[in-house]
Amino acid sequence: MTPRSRPIKKFAVAVSHCSGEASLYGKCIVTDYDGVHKDKCLREFIKLKDCYLAASRKA
Amino acid sequence: MQYLCRCKNFHELAVPTPQTFRRTYAIHAASAPTFQVFNRRTKWLQKERAASHVELSRQADYLKDEVAMRLCERLLDIKRQFPKVLDLGANSCNIARALTRENPDPDPARPVSPPLATRIGELVAADSSHSLLYRDADLSFNDAINITREVLQDEEQLPYAPATFDLVMSSLSLHWINDLPSVLAQINNILKPDAPFLGAMLGGDTLYELRTSLQLADQERKGGISPHVSPLADVRDVGGLMQRAGFKLLTVDVEDIIVDYPDTFALMEDLQCMAEGNAILSREMGPISRDVLLANEGIYRELHGNADGSLPATFRVIYMIGWRESDDQAKPLPRGSGEVNLKDILESK
Repeated sequence: MTPRSRPIKKFAVAVSHCSGEASLYGKCIVTDYDGVHKDKCLREFIKLKDCYLAASRKA
Repeated sequence: MQYLCRCKNFHELAVPTPQTFRRTYAIHAASAPTFQVFNRRTKWLQKERAASHVELSRQADYLKDEVAMRLCERLLDIKRQFPKVLDLGANSCNIARALTRENPDPDPARPVSPPLATRIGELVAADSSHSLLYRDADLSFNDAINITREVLQDEEQLPYAPATFDLVMSSLSLHWINDLPSVLAQINNILKPDAPFLGAMLGGDTLYELRTSLQLADQERKGGISPHVSPLADVRDVGGLMQRAGFKLLTVDVEDIIVDYPDTFALMEDLQCMAEGNAILSREMGPISRDVLLANEGIYRELHGNADGSLPATFRVIYMIGWRESDDQAKPLPRGSGEVNLKDILESK
């Protein structure tokens, strides 16, 4: 909203580089969405987050 | 009063030790307590903030303009002049803009129809947010309609005398009202006899995609759920609400508007620019954590995403029309007074 780039924009750009990881994580949740509990897909999420962190450092 | 007197007597006669005396009060509650769901002040702040970024706020007006236009199309069926009209919860006066649109009648037999504003004497646009209400005050559509802007202190207490308006309209703001039965009854009260109320509000399955994917993301990341999408009235509730408020000749119908977004961040940003952000009282304070946003992006795309990679968001709009009761109004015949068998008519065709 401000003239300078909003943090959410940077966040969105960084996440867009990780569509593969995001899709894997989503699949892990969606295969059994009635039985979701905390850290059910922790492994997939860590991969997604690592990818996002790497992408945001590059930007 | 009687109860108080008895207490006094009881105290003088039958209670020997003052330290064991327990005083009780009889309290008369003014009315049934209303269930507070939304923080009205948060909603006001969101509106003020959204309107302070004029261009972004205008870009995000696509939904409100579309719904206002569809609501005003329903006015084409009412062949009347409306000397005094109220737009309750006007947002950025989207209804005024829709009323001044050229050629609103899509009927090809009549190539040119005058704007609906020609049938309106005065439009009072009322909203709680000053900035949003006056955002477009200097645009050209204001010259085509006699519009008065009015800032309401509290949208749930309407400051108008009974039987003031010939028409009340409301587009996409009733879904933030805490006490909907009371507001609808007030609307009925400020209408003149045999005057209509036309409203549109979000309801039912609106944003169910976002609701479900945020729930899953919250559950997996945090192990618990916080409300992110408002509880909304259902279609079948609206009929009952209108009836309870005293409206007659009801019409309620539903339309789904599905908008495609490139990603969940674009959706949430647009919701923020529309001032449709979360204002539930029991919500978790502060922004959604990045982990949940990250998880939400993956889940939304997997669960609801389109084949072309875009993400659909459903807005379910409930349109309601009700009339203030009047003696010279058409009324349903009493039960059992029918003289023609419908079966005969249908079978003879």
